[in-house]
Amino acid sequence: MTYITTFYSHFGAIRYKKLCEKSQIPAQVMPVPRDLSSSCGTCVSSQGNYIMPESPALEEIEQIVEKTESGYRLLYRAANS
Amino acid sequence: MATKQEKQHILIAGCIIGLISAGLVFLGNPANMGFCIACFLRDTSGALGLHSAAAVQYIRPEIIGLVLGSLLIAVAGKEFQAKGGSSPVTRFFLGFFVMIGCLMFLGCPFRMILRLAGGDLNALFGLAGFIAGILAGVFFLNKGYSLKRTYKLPACEGMAFPVMEAALLVLLAAAPAFIHFTEAGGGPGGSHAAILVSLAAGLIVGILAQRTRLCMVGGIRDMVLFKESRLLLGFIAIFAMALIGNLVLSAVTGGTYFKLGMAGQAVSHTDGLWNFLGMLLAGYGCVLLGGCPLRQLILAGEGNTDSAITVIGLMVGAAFCHNFGLASSGEGPTANGKIAVIIGIVVVTAIACLNTFRKEES
Repeated sequence: MTYITTFYSHFGAIRYKKLCEKSQIPAQVMPVPRDLSSSCGTCVSSQGNYIMPESPALEEIEQIVEKTESGYRLLYRAANS
Repeated sequence: MATKQEKQHILIAGCIIGLISAGLVFLGNPANMGFCIACFLRDTSGALGLHSAAAVQYIRPEIIGLVLGSLLIAVAGKEFQAKGGSSPVTRFFLGFFVMIGCLMFLGCPFRMILRLAGGDLNALFGLAGFIAGILAGVFFLNKGYSLKRTYKLPACEGMAFPVMEAALLVLLAAAPAFIHFTEAGGGPGGSHAAILVSLAAGLIVGILAQRTRLCMVGGIRDMVLFKESRLLLGFIAIFAMALIGNLVLSAVTGGTYFKLGMAGQAVSHTDGLWNFLGMLLAGYGCVLLGGCPLRQLILAGEGNTDSAITVIGLMVGAAFCHNFGLASSGEGPTANGKIAVIIGIVVVTAIACLNTFRKEES
């Protein structure tokens, strides 16, 4: 299973990737896929699992989705975003 | 990373945009200026009387088309979303100084590509500065730079800027006495394609840029950050097709659409150092903003009020450039302009530092 996490800042993505690596979750920083968003920010694609970090790292997360055959399934979205 | 289909889309979009850019010059726009977001916002500022440089006053329909094209396709694709609140005042000042950098060079990143496609080798210094500025911005991105998150806003807030652009179209068509227009032959503002042609060009490019997320800064930034070439392909396609378009137009019409060299280029100067520093400032500021001036217009059309404020910052910056003698001319940069660019680099660096190293205090 592939999970994609989008962020409000590039640094948020870097920090999240490190958290994934600490938890033995393979993760890659990359541009946000066009079919997910019209935003051109940075996301992290993680394999097999995802992390819901504690604050303040959580504040950097915009949304977490699971990649499905038909598109994406929303797992988390920041309040008021 | 980007799919093959995404890369094909941006290549096709870049080719169309390159051809439109060359075509607009044939149809009346100034040389190597089929599109120039900085120049066109500067002309619009002049038309509204924000500056009084008589040679550069015209409400450019391309700008209106870009915003409305983005709005239309965003609404159609259910991607219009009013949002903002990500350090708007800081973004205003970044936009302000990006314009100072652009008018030192005499063009935005988009025109830099079109100048290269027209054979203007001065733009190579601009390109080198642009890359250096992007690298400076990327340094701060990797160290933690952030202008904080955006928040959902009422739809009317996101619509305010596109409605203002529609109002500008009405003013352009009605041409009341209080709007300033450069007379034909009176300077770059007096050279333009027909209104409907320019508007259609803007609409098409706005739609393509929204769908592909085309961004002159993003292309180089993503190559540096992720080794991802998708956006850069759009950049290269625009250059290639504008170059082909210019060569074909030169051969077919006998006009000068391609002239290789540095001296005597249209709306350009030969001071390499200040071409470099001007675009360094522009690239640096644009990375911190998250996109080039074209991208800011597209995002403003999608309902992003932070980008709308950035565009207003660009327009105010253009007015300052002409009110205080900061903008370069064909004769070269001005002393005031050089001071302003140095101040701009210092201010942008201060903004970068304050939003990188002290963010845990907020």
